Amino acid sequence: MATQQSKSKLFLSTVIFGAVSISFYVLLFTNEKLVTDTFTKGGIYTLFPIGTVFLFSFIHGAFASNLLSLLGIEAKKK
Amino acid sequence: MKKLVIVVLFSLFLLPLASAVFAAGGAGPDKSMLKGVFTEINEAAHTAVLRKDGTTELKSLIIGEKVKPETLRLGKKVLVSLDHDAGENVIKDVSIMFMDMTLKKLLALLTVGLVGGILSGFIGSGGAFVLTPAMMSLGAPGAVAVASNMCHKFPKAMIGTYKRWKYGQVDIKLALTMSATAIVGVQIGVMIQKYILNKWGNDGSNLYVSAMFVVVLVLVGGYVAYDAYKLSKGGKDKPEQTASTLALAMQKINLPPMMNFKVAKVRISAWVTIPVGLATGMLAATIAVGGFIGVPGMIYVIGASAMVASATELGIAFVMGLWGSIQWGLSGLIDIRLSVLLLATSLIGVQVGALGTTYVKDYVIKITMAATMLIVAVSRGALLPGYLAKFGLVGQISPSTAAFLESLSFWALVAALGVAGFISTGAMVKGMIADRKESKLHIIAEADRA
Repeated sequence: MATQQSKSKLFLSTVIFGAVSISFYVLLFTNEKLVTDTFTKGGIYTLFPIGTVFLFSFIHGAFASNLLSLLGIEAKKK
Repeated sequence: MKKLVIVVLFSLFLLPLASAVFAAGGAGPDKSMLKGVFTEINEAAHTAVLRKDGTTELKSLIIGEKVKPETLRLGKKVLVSLDHDAGENVIKDVSIMFMDMTLKKLLALLTVGLVGGILSGFIGSGGAFVLTPAMMSLGAPGAVAVASNMCHKFPKAMIGTYKRWKYGQVDIKLALTMSATAIVGVQIGVMIQKYILNKWGNDGSNLYVSAMFVVVLVLVGGYVAYDAYKLSKGGKDKPEQTASTLALAMQKINLPPMMNFKVAKVRISAWVTIPVGLATGMLAATIAVGGFIGVPGMIYVIGASAMVASATELGIAFVMGLWGSIQWGLSGLIDIRLSVLLLATSLIGVQVGALGTTYVKDYVIKITMAATMLIVAVSRGALLPGYLAKFGLVGQISPSTAAFLESLSFWALVAALGVAGFISTGAMVKGMIADRKESKLHIIAEADRA
């Protein structure tokens, strides 16, 4: 029962992180021109690309980690 | 107290070296490059007006002989390189900064991102040697391809480091020590590149980069292959592999400050780590893959296992990638679309590669690394005759041979990525199946006993 519960919890967080991640991608690509123009202004605008990849890697990285666990692809247990 | 004095003296030694190389100019794009939007193009008069990015300043330019005026576009952000030999403000080359994204390009980016990610999680570095050329062939200007790859590399390395740290494989202290000297190494590498570029031009620079690629990859990759072969023949059942003779000799050098690396299980003089870090940085500045020196350096000179060395390299890649991305970002050359598309799959790949290492023996990492290095060497080696011919060092090669060598070079890169992906995932899947069988047997045995 406990594993069933943790599995559904895992499923839920995979879906949530996945949805957030996809909406970030959609947001970025629907505003492609504005984003690419602003992000390449140089100087202080460097914070935009750096911040974006940090944000993407946390959200999308968490999604990927949950997805792999859900698929049963996990590290060897010692 | 004695320890403190040594550390201060040690830092004082590094400081002038660092400041000297920083003064010579950091890593990053060529300063003579202009970024902006054309507001006016006069095809008949061979002139154009460029509004420089982030300013309202307009600059009148002369369209050089090699540039076709009809290929220039109004209103799109471009990178313009100037031909200083032809006179002032003469355009040598124009490239559109942001390529149009098509479904084909999107799929290509996702695919290389995934395989590059797996490789990176598994051997600590990888991907850059094929990601940058791949983005360039999709239409990104060279500088944008390098910048966008760098900006995808550090978050990928960060996730990979975190995963492998959880598996107890990352030596954070070693990663930070190596990064500090590697950053200085990058600056030295950039200085050498600039010197060669000024003295022998673009062809000289290409020849140097390719020659370095081949020499380093054949020598180091060959040695790693030999070592992995020896281990796979005889020593693979040994639970712990012993350090190389060179590393054991290095560990005996008792020159303070001595450093203890707990995860790597090594006590070594900080002075030994300096040349390894410098070489890693220099190689990173030259061929964009510092890990090809960093990982073997940590294994054979410092004495870490391939498992710890490849995991620690991810930590180094994070620090150096972040530092490099800030440099490229300040010049405004990162195409964030390319970075996040690569991340979409590489963040999955890097975690698969990282967890894959828990199923394989140390020597499998060495085999994967050696195979990658040697095939990449073929790819670069194929370009050498062309560059040598440009310098008149060998006879001219026919256009058909040149075309053959170029396609050989490209396909060797694809093969390198494919072979490495195949070896690592193959070994991982084999390990996973064996592990599941073992745990099933274990459960049955437990049930029998009960």
